[in-house]
Amino acid sequence: MSDADSGELQELTYATDGTRVSFTVSEDLYPRDAVYGAAYLFVDRCFVYLSRPGDDQVEVRLKPKPDGAIQDLDVLAGEFANELLNQVIRIRVGESTAQIREYYMAKAFFADANQTSIDALLAELDQEELEEDPLEISVPWEEEG
Amino acid sequence: MIATRTIQLPKLAVQADKLGPFRFERMAGKVLLTADSGEWHFLSEDDFAVFLKGELVAGHPEYEGLAAKGFIRAELNPWDLAAKVRRKRYYVDYGPHLHVMITTLRCNQGCKYCHASRTDMDRVDTDMSPEVVKHAVEMAFQSTNPYICFEYTGGEPTVNMDAIKLSVEYSRELNKKHGKIVDHSVVTNMTWMTEENAEWLMDNGVLVCTSLDGPKDLHNWNRTWVKQEANFPKGLEPADHNAYDQVLHWIRYFNRRYVERGRDPGLWHVDALMTTTRKTMENWKDLVDLYVDLGLRNLKIRPLNPYGFATKTWRVIGYTMEEYLDFYAEVLDYILELNQQGVQIQEGTAAVFLKKMLTPDDPNYVDLRNPIGSGTGQIAYNFDGRVFPSDEGRMLAGMGSDFFQLGELGKSSYRDLVGHPTVRALVMASLLDGLPACHTCWNMPYCGVRPINNYMESGDLFAQRPNTPKCKEHMGIARLLFERIANDTDGKIEAVFRRWTINRSRDEDAA
Repeated sequence: MSDADSGELQELTYATDGTRVSFTVSEDLYPRDAVYGAAYLFVDRCFVYLSRPGDDQVEVRLKPKPDGAIQDLDVLAGEFANELLNQVIRIRVGESTAQIREYYMAKAFFADANQTSIDALLAELDQEELEEDPLEISVPWEEEG
Repeated sequence: MIATRTIQLPKLAVQADKLGPFRFERMAGKVLLTADSGEWHFLSEDDFAVFLKGELVAGHPEYEGLAAKGFIRAELNPWDLAAKVRRKRYYVDYGPHLHVMITTLRCNQGCKYCHASRTDMDRVDTDMSPEVVKHAVEMAFQSTNPYICFEYTGGEPTVNMDAIKLSVEYSRELNKKHGKIVDHSVVTNMTWMTEENAEWLMDNGVLVCTSLDGPKDLHNWNRTWVKQEANFPKGLEPADHNAYDQVLHWIRYFNRRYVERGRDPGLWHVDALMTTTRKTMENWKDLVDLYVDLGLRNLKIRPLNPYGFATKTWRVIGYTMEEYLDFYAEVLDYILELNQQGVQIQEGTAAVFLKKMLTPDDPNYVDLRNPIGSGTGQIAYNFDGRVFPSDEGRMLAGMGSDFFQLGELGKSSYRDLVGHPTVRALVMASLLDGLPACHTCWNMPYCGVRPINNYMESGDLFAQRPNTPKCKEHMGIARLLFERIANDTDGKIEAVFRRWTINRSRDEDAA
């Protein structure tokens, strides 16, 4: 279990110059996919820049688009931090339930009655071939005539 | 000058091995959990924290509900979930059911938002020929779907009524061999209608759908009827050269004649569609009242599409998606208010979402499903025999890009069309289970993305979903509906919503 879901209080620092906010996020605390996932959800309101300032670190810079949808950079920073936590939950649950999902999705689409009936049909045909072979198709050529 | 600040994040504890698969979102002061099966559950923020910690156990008031929907790992039944998912997405086992036939590009109107690349009434070269009609019908019957619906559109499809008649009659003949369930539906502006054609459509069970954008001024402003002799059917008096009056006249005519023919008016009636322009937003209440006054039970609010003339007139008639959603919310709440007073009318887009949210089934609405119906749920046959995965693909061709053309009737086989690389690409670009951000989105079980719209807007089938108007629209509408359910303390709203999910079959009225 990572620190992000250990139940301890987390602190996240960001910098702002009045036109944008930037976070340097440690991959030790937040999986890279969580950072990407959170950043992606802001592409409608911000220009998103990602860079790697150091090992196991991702810098996320959010620059609001000029449509005026974002007025308060501190609110933007808070929304990003919350989304980072949401993404951690999604990733944890996604990883933990991946096999279950794969199982029931496969069961739903590939392995129910249709498959059974095809298997049954093939088995039936095999049986018929063994029982009836008037043209002696199953007889190897070497044994013929 | 750069300032540095620190955010204190709330404690987060996740015991993932105690939880079933779920997606979540905060709304209406609660947390909404959704499942692949389409089932959902609201929790308070406190209960959600307990749930995440794996400490929401038997005896807790929310436990049974969560367990039954597969959100508690210890109670999760994968076979049950598989059956529910299969029922929800049954359509992936079937071929296209919707076969759109563009009988002509000729149209006697010139709407400000026309999506359909119309031509003037003298352009008979844009009429679908009998040979193409027959090829299209033969192709449709090759679908592996036991149900097929022919939708006649254009241009104004009734301008080439012979094509509609041939299609209906030829499909009836072919169906003696195929034994499919077959529907026919014509989407008409009603301004080229005649009594002879109206009676023929009713005689032959062709469903009629028209456009009614709102009160007279609004409808006539949106749907221009240029005063040229060629645009008016023979015998129509100049005093009747008014599109709005014609639409109302024919809606009343059809609905009266259905009753006189002994049909159940709940099943047999004219359906109407509207398209929202900026002017509609100033007249939304009058729009709803008009539909109620006419006895129309389904008002489907639709935004503009980025096709055809709408791309040129956007500055005058367009709006942002945020403005559209505000307008939509006002209409929805007014319709809900009317329902509380006993008026039977539903909002059509909400009804599609609600069927996904409140029932174990899916309406198989080709524009809102996972994956999208283009090429797998519908096929569009252009007047000239070119085939497209949907009407949108055909409209794009009308704007000069045949990027989505799948083949040509008489030359391409059914397998060529439905197995076309373009269809595969459209499926991949709309399979929400594999799209970043969609696959973890709370709205995934109810949503559908539109790759051809994406292509139109960004040149990319996939696009960045949060940037697409459809993402904002679908998420916005689903959120509005869930918020109303979350705040529905006496169950009256949900009762109305559930009524909107009931579809009666016309088989009930086989007279």
